[in-house]
Amino acid sequence: MIPDEYLQTFVVECKELLEQMEEALLIVEQAEQDPEIINAIFRAAHTIKGSAGMFGLDPVVEFTHAAESVLDRVRSGEVAMTSVLAALFIEAHDHLKELIGHVAEGSHPAEATDNHGKTLIARLEAYLGETPAEQPGNSGSSDNSGEMPVIQTANVEREHSDAVVGTDLWHLSLRFGPEVFRNGMDPFSFVRCLASLGSIEELVTVIDAIPAAAQMDPESCYLGFEISFSSDADKLAIDSLFNFVRSDCFIRILPPRSKASEYQRLIQELPEQEMRLGEILVKCGTLTPEELDNILRLQSQHGDAPQRPIGEVLVEQQMVSSPVVEAALAKQQQVKDNKKSEASLIRVDAEKLDELINLVGELIIAGAGTNLIARRAGMAELMESTATLSRLVEDVRDSALALRMVQIGGTFNRFTRVVRDVSKELGKDIDLVISGGDTELDKTVVEKIGDPLTHLVRNSMDHGIEAAELRLARGKSAKGTLRLNAYHDAGSIVIEVSDDGGGLNKEKILNKAIERGLVAEGANLSDKEIYNLIFEAGFSTADAVSNLSGRGVGMDVVKRNIQALRGSVDLDSIEGQGSTIRIRLPLTLAIIDGFMVGVGNASYVIPLDMVVECVELNAWASDEGDGQYLNLRGEVLPYRRLRDHFVIDGDMVQRENVVVVRYGEHKAGLVVDKLMGEFQTVIKPLGKLFSSEKSIGGFTILGSGEVALIVDVPGLMGQIEHEREAGEVVPFTRSGVVMH
Amino acid sequence: MNAIVQAAQALPAMDGSQGLEEQQQYLTFMLSGETYAISILRIKEIIQYGQLTEVPRMPDFIRGVINLRGAVVPVIDLSARFGKQPTAIGRRNCIIIIEVALGAETQSVGVMVDAVNAVMEIPASEIEPAPTFGTNIRADFIAGMGKINGKFVIILNIQHVLSMDDMAALATAGSAPSAELVQAG
Repeated sequence: MIPDEYLQTFVVECKELLEQMEEALLIVEQAEQDPEIINAIFRAAHTIKGSAGMFGLDPVVEFTHAAESVLDRVRSGEVAMTSVLAALFIEAHDHLKELIGHVAEGSHPAEATDNHGKTLIARLEAYLGETPAEQPGNSGSSDNSGEMPVIQTANVEREHSDAVVGTDLWHLSLRFGPEVFRNGMDPFSFVRCLASLGSIEELVTVIDAIPAAAQMDPESCYLGFEISFSSDADKLAIDSLFNFVRSDCFIRILPPRSKASEYQRLIQELPEQEMRLGEILVKCGTLTPEELDNILRLQSQHGDAPQRPIGEVLVEQQMVSSPVVEAALAKQQQVKDNKKSEASLIRVDAEKLDELINLVGELIIAGAGTNLIARRAGMAELMESTATLSRLVEDVRDSALALRMVQIGGTFNRFTRVVRDVSKELGKDIDLVISGGDTELDKTVVEKIGDPLTHLVRNSMDHGIEAAELRLARGKSAKGTLRLNAYHDAGSIVIEVSDDGGGLNKEKILNKAIERGLVAEGANLSDKEIYNLIFEAGFSTADAVSNLSGRGVGMDVVKRNIQALRGSVDLDSIEGQGSTIRIRLPLTLAIIDGFMVGVGNASYVIPLDMVVECVELNAWASDEGDGQYLNLRGEVLPYRRLRDHFVIDGDMVQRENVVVVRYGEHKAGLVVDKLMGEFQTVIKPLGKLFSSEKSIGGFTILGSGEVALIVDVPGLMGQIEHEREAGEVVPFTRSGVVMH
Repeated sequence: MNAIVQAAQALPAMDGSQGLEEQQQYLTFMLSGETYAISILRIKEIIQYGQLTEVPRMPDFIRGVINLRGAVVPVIDLSARFGKQPTAIGRRNCIIIIEVALGAETQSVGVMVDAVNAVMEIPASEIEPAPTFGTNIRADFIAGMGKINGKFVIILNIQHVLSMDDMAALATAGSAPSAELVQAG
């Protein structure tokens, strides 16, 4: 049995290939007839088939084979890649994805899936223009398109009219090179693979190459096979099975009804003795004894002919036409190129990476401890050495974190498909414009952002972008545009989903909110506050519930998911011109640069990204009664004492400091007792017990071993805002609306 | 609340059979003058009460968090959890670190007690089922009444006492009054 890890690699690779395939298909569907893209699709299908064959995954092989055959014809220009065909391939891609999914889970596909696959195969085969039962050798005449596969053309237009060997079977001569085992290949898997294309009628194992026991290297492969094979597959399909071993193996494939002279050449090329080979061929049932005699006679006539390069021979024989050879060469080149780029990448288990990050986290804590001791001991040399150490640890931290950074482009590109499907479903013509795809963010964040984004994109397409008629009536182009954009801003990543649709209707939202009891009647809300109401639970303004959205679950889930990532979401809209949803997320979840402050006896860490500056309270505070704001160079800065907010006992200190924090467009001051400076902070999760407390983002362990709390600035500001509202009129009947 | 009780009923089946029949060792400890016992199966270690960081805006029974060799562990004041006065800090205060099942994983939780007494053997025959009323703590917190030297001690169902769902719900509710408090001040 195949070890699980290989199967895992197979699944991962297949998924990547499928992604590439999907991407290419979507381009092709846009009527781009770039042969390179068609080739890319073909290669993906082909590689999947090849690897699936090695694992003996017959359903996958069978299905991919059908797709591949059609693709091959597209590639050779016999079938045009219409958008209808591209759509069919996208369906085929989805089915394949499902099959691979089952492989990954080790489950068996449901019957419905199987049937779906069969339907798809039938639909694909319709493009082949021939019934599978026909022999490739004579199918040329039945192909009314006039353009026939190159190989079959070769068969028909053969110049010499020498005797044709009367068998209906393919003949394959395989001699595996000595390196095959060392390259991790198993000759038998190819044989098994072959069986997926047809049935092996006879197989003779050629062991003539095995040397005497003394010289034999157990790691070398000395095996050869002569196989007589019945199949409806074309030559390329059979030939391509051996892509993995082509470089160091001798492989000859003779189609059914090949001429005697071809067999003669075959015999000439094979390393074994002529008579011995002849016997094998007879044993295989490929040749009758008379035919063999005939061939051997031919052989003796041409006996002195010098050996020519195999490629040349093949071309002359018209076994393969020169375009095929060129294609094969190009393919080999591509395989080599791919290998080059693979070499610079290492696939690493994400768990190992997490473990590394955890260890780096521990290292930082331990390092901070050592620093503290060094400073206490007052040894200059030790302090110097710990300073160097901290710098290195910081570098290690940065590169460890960088390991987990991935570009968001991959996630964005997936939406090409979503937009295509949804716009078809809705009957709208929508363009997706992606920008900022190279913006990097933490892998864990990327994984979790997919679902909320999907929801937002679907929502924008369903409710945002109007139907074509309405768009034209409003003086816009009939084609709607959806934009996905990402950029870095103040230690967070901002992801924007914007559309040029109708925008949000303030009145409608407000009325709905009042109706649903989310807002008290007569409440005075700003535009932004009204827009953000759509993120409340149980809110939906769509008059009709469509298949896609409008059930009123979703936007609140989106908001919750994003908040769970320590992020926030807000919305801008201009009625009639469209709306933009902005998601703001932290770059990383594990380690941050923190700014440590002291309040009473407790230490708090404020993420450094959020800190703008620190000022002394007394020097700046306004003396206007108990107003909690100060005049910061002409700017009004509201502030809040952490001591009050966190209900901390203890005496007030003489000189309080204000840490000015910024989150998005909002600025505020946090009044603390002591400023303790920068500090590398490993975030320890809050755990279930404390997760309800919005103002705290996590714990961290200080060098002294003490636990400090990390302030969640957006959460804290939301809380303060909320309390202020609770103290004034109560505009909302439920908690949960956080406004900045 | 109902859901918690239901979930809770499923657990003692496992805990009970193991705790009461095969394994009969219990740790006894003091809490405001009364003796309680818990099965030693879930106890990870006992540490001295030391440096503890308070977490603001939390109900009384969540005392704070400690650093247990690099892991942040919440500490529960058992006395406050039972609705009594919070434990006063004394010389003999201890934190019992207990592993609590949380879904498929386990989480360490510290329990603060006045003093730890001893590990005792209580045979199953010496354990009476919990009375439905008459005790001064919630009935679902009690796994049984153990007899030690002719006196009853309450054997706690620690999985219920430290139910994360239950405590988190209280913590959420607990942050509301403290918010009002802030408003006043």
